[in-house]
Amino acid sequence: MVIAIDPELNQLSKEECERRLETFEGRIARGDKVEPTDWMPQEYRNQLIRLIHVHANSEICGALPEGKWIPHAPSFKRKMALLAKVQDEVGHAQLLYRAAETLGASREQMIEDLISGKSKFSNVFHYPADIWTDVAIIAWLIDGAAIVNQMMMSDGSYGPYSRALKRICYEEAFHLKHGYEMVVTIAQGTKMQREMLQDSLDRWWPPIMMFHGPADKVSKHTSMLVQWGVKLKTNDEQRQQFLRQFVPKMLDLGLKIPDPNLRLDKETGDWLYTEPDWDEFKRVINGGGPVSGDRVATRKLAHEEGRWVREALSAAAANQPIPMPTMTV
Amino acid sequence: MNDTQWPVYEVFHQQARGEAHIHVGSVHAPDAQMALVMAKEQYCRRQACVNLWVAPASAILATDYQDGDMFEHATDKSYRESWGYKTPKTIKKSKASDKESAK
Amino acid sequence: MIATMETLNDLDAPTKSAVIDLLYRLADDAIIIGHRGSEWTGFAPILEEDIAFSSMAQDDMGHALTFYQMLHELGEPDPDTNVFGRKLEQWKCASLVSLCSKRDWAKSLVRKYFYDVAESLRLESLAQGSLVPLAQLARKLSSEKKYHLMHGHMWMPRLGQGTDESHQLMQDAVDTLYPHALGMFESTGADDLLDQAGIFLREDELRKRWVAAVDKVLGESSLKINAKASPVYGGRSGKHPDDLATLLDGMQLVYKLDPSAKW
Repeated sequence: MVIAIDPELNQLSKEECERRLETFEGRIARGDKVEPTDWMPQEYRNQLIRLIHVHANSEICGALPEGKWIPHAPSFKRKMALLAKVQDEVGHAQLLYRAAETLGASREQMIEDLISGKSKFSNVFHYPADIWTDVAIIAWLIDGAAIVNQMMMSDGSYGPYSRALKRICYEEAFHLKHGYEMVVTIAQGTKMQREMLQDSLDRWWPPIMMFHGPADKVSKHTSMLVQWGVKLKTNDEQRQQFLRQFVPKMLDLGLKIPDPNLRLDKETGDWLYTEPDWDEFKRVINGGGPVSGDRVATRKLAHEEGRWVREALSAAAANQPIPMPTMTV
Repeated sequence: MNDTQWPVYEVFHQQARGEAHIHVGSVHAPDAQMALVMAKEQYCRRQACVNLWVAPASAILATDYQDGDMFEHATDKSYRESWGYKTPKTIKKSKASDKESAK
Repeated sequence: MIATMETLNDLDAPTKSAVIDLLYRLADDAIIIGHRGSEWTGFAPILEEDIAFSSMAQDDMGHALTFYQMLHELGEPDPDTNVFGRKLEQWKCASLVSLCSKRDWAKSLVRKYFYDVAESLRLESLAQGSLVPLAQLARKLSSEKKYHLMHGHMWMPRLGQGTDESHQLMQDAVDTLYPHALGMFESTGADDLLDQAGIFLREDELRKRWVAAVDKVLGESSLKINAKASPVYGGRSGKHPDDLATLLDGMQLVYKLDPSAKW
């Protein structure tokens, strides 16, 4: 499939568009990365900004359900690890907003769009984390699903996004092991613990099955991003990779996956599953999820209550330079 | 209202004494000192680091990728390289006749 | 001439009790300030600062853990049981760290700075002390405190002098917290023994050094202290503000579902 670009949007003649597109697509076909100062179709720029912006928003909103449990973590190791993990999510947001900024977006504007409800974030963070074992399921399965997506994207065509994702994937590897260790420990625990874990899985499974986005037959954004080497796999392919990687481990742990139709197709090696409720997905990512409003309100509060701090730092920077401090008392 | 759009500072870390500083990313900060405070934990909380630099991104002048071909060599530059030279295994002794002709 | 004690086994019974008292004060302060710091994760005024504050909270929790491990070597419960199973009145942290400062960046920053100066002085004193395992530990931990102090020294003048609003909020925070900060130096029965054994400075001496260090930086930040403020004591003997009870209820919530369970 060949995608034609819009001369008007790109402010170029049709011929010039075609000429530049050929160079651009040739670069991607050779496996060369696109860098910020290169010419790129406006369509590529817009799609990437949207994608990276949503990704960054998801990291910062993803810090909320888990962050809520840092004060309640039941041991030193869990407390410090969860804090480090949520810290990483905030760090990832910083890296991703920086990547989107290289395309001309402003961080301030992206944050404004998030807190005004104009821009989206991942469906899974529109649901509440109600009990401690939710943290284990999120860290193992949502981070696991995210790694499938991010590993694929880290080979994508846009240099700054690819660089950010390489670092993010490195850090996510710790999240995944931390999550798996928690799940394994709880799964081998008391009856109460196992029931809590199963309860968490039952609630989180449907949103997790939607995590990679709508089925290929209905996804409107996928084709262009695939064509230009941003997404190297379709939503369904990513979902299948996730299932192949995680379902056997979940079954080994004695977890019951709440999908009566989930079974292995022995010929293809694919997992067959009940098609997720894509209407729910649409409703949720458009702000109709159980805690969508809370998430946005929390971010808004944090941003607005921090305004005086940022204003003070700006004012201090505009005044005289402050001498370099000492590091000891 | 533009309050978090502070300048961007590029961040470079040095993993051990004797090694070069390497670019690792960037931060927004109101001034250079705060950029150091901001960069330290975002870029050095896992990897080894003995020294950290920040520099305003605006201070960097870069070449254009479009001119990337100017870094390519159009003609043979092997004379700049050690592999561009042959070293004989044995050195021939000079002949007596050479001495005579030199006279 | 003060004798050096190479191992914890060299402590006589009364000195050992004094060391246990000291370690509880150090450990409880550190875990609670770490917990308070972690309340900002995901909420800080700037993304980059969110990361910095989370790292410092981890450092403080890490310091606490090493102190609890030493307490365990001295016969006290293991660190997890100690932190997640201990009753309110058994805690020995100062009210400075116990106070809730959620959503109040000025208080959180000033409190963290007051604490960091105190912990640095404590570690410096321990590092020069006669109890070798504790001196070694203190030297190791003090390296992490450098960044915490750098952080505080960068932030204090910027917010103290930034805008009228920031100056006022910082001054309010200093006014509220200073008496609690002085309360960190509440003397306990352990003071004399620790001093005589050459393990640790007396609290009144530490307080003098702390006041001198803090006065200088506050002055450079256009912030004033009330020299007549009287310290808020009680934390070292188990009398705590309600904020600590609330904190502990939250912190021990999951653990108490089943203290024998592993999570």
